[in-house]
Amino acid sequence: MVGPALRLSPAFAVPILQTRRDSSEQLNRALETLFLERESDEYRNPTPSHTPQAETFESRFNLFRWPEPCIQELRRFVLDNIAQAVIQTTTVTPEELSRLKFQNHTWFHITRYAGSFVAHNHPLASWSAVYCVRAGEEVREHPQSGLLRFFDPRQGANAYLDAANEHLHPPFALRSLDLRLTAGDLVVFPSYLFHEVTPFHGADMRITVATNCWFV
Amino acid sequence: MSLPSLSVVPIFATPFAVMELPAALPTTPVVAQLLARHAAAKLGTAPAAARLCYESRDDLLEWNEEPVRQLCSEILRGVWSTVAAVTTLTSEQLATLSMQARGWFTVIQQNGCVQAASHPLTAWCGIYCLEAPQPSAERSDSGVVRLYESRLGTMFSDATNSALRVPFNHGHSSWRAVPGQLAVFPGSLTHEIPLVRSAGPLTLITVRTRFVGPGQEGLSRW
Repeated sequence: MVGPALRLSPAFAVPILQTRRDSSEQLNRALETLFLERESDEYRNPTPSHTPQAETFESRFNLFRWPEPCIQELRRFVLDNIAQAVIQTTTVTPEELSRLKFQNHTWFHITRYAGSFVAHNHPLASWSAVYCVRAGEEVREHPQSGLLRFFDPRQGANAYLDAANEHLHPPFALRSLDLRLTAGDLVVFPSYLFHEVTPFHGADMRITVATNCWFV
Repeated sequence: MSLPSLSVVPIFATPFAVMELPAALPTTPVVAQLLARHAAAKLGTAPAAARLCYESRDDLLEWNEEPVRQLCSEILRGVWSTVAAVTTLTSEQLATLSMQARGWFTVIQQNGCVQAASHPLTAWCGIYCLEAPQPSAERSDSGVVRLYESRLGTMFSDATNSALRVPFNHGHSSWRAVPGQLAVFPGSLTHEIPLVRSAGPLTLITVRTRFVGPGQEGLSRW
């Protein structure tokens, strides 16, 4: 039997953009050295939005205003890619985008053994991104250590599962998306999307830079 | 300035019930020891990392040991009580329903955790605490069950809507597991157990339940 032609499309889709900075070793080394030097109360976020953990250091949100060349190099890479994300996912043209004022809050995290970050999103921002400076030790016995996990926003959709909806193809699958970042990776996503960092079980440290952006 | 009289009510509320189970208390330590022995035997020579969190098969309600049967029966009674308290069903209507349930236990050691999950095909989830470590001074969420915010949140935040009081506030909710207490909440609610930082096991029994009315077609297998 030949059925009617079907047109299948992902409605209510969430854009997730992933890219990677080529030859990022030197940049990441410079960032790591700088962040470790400044892992102190002077640079710590004085008004954290979540209960702080001793195992996770969170910096102030002004990172992209630091003048150090490595920070400015990272700033260009991250913000250029966020601009690309806006252009690729919206009807905004590059000319229109260039007339908008690009605002951001940007900070770094250093996470050591047992550190994690509870599921959250970022009100009053449109696009968020995470850049991985150092992935941290991958622990075979803890495959879920240090993952960046995005939660499926179609909450409750998986409450009824049977054989016909349990194994949907991506992007229709009803489950969270786990990313294991490696150094040089950048992920851009809508700020409304809930995400967490799962407990890190490595013996070293995981270092990331996060940014929230809004356009005026 | 005189303020108008107003009536503020919580709409779109999520039921979360916490209760003591006095009849379960005498058997709780016995069952905790039994479950600890079972977990230790199953883990055998597993690597140390795997011992941080042991989760049994979901056949606990089929175990024959009398203390386990007694305790689980009290837990299921607690779920029934919650259903009676939050639904419009009369006791006569409730009596016509049959409960389907699966149960398992979890032993979480220091630096162990349970990843966030919800339970498909489940109306009500119950978590009973058999033993819990002391709270951690360094990590306020050590040893809690964290229930995720389930309402569609607004991305617009200002000085007022970010300071709403309970039960109107946005954000996750936590229940600190206390031995002898049962918490019951909708099975669709995503929940997790953050990393336990204190020494000593956190031992929990979890049940997922659903109810079938007379004449209803069967639900899918679990």
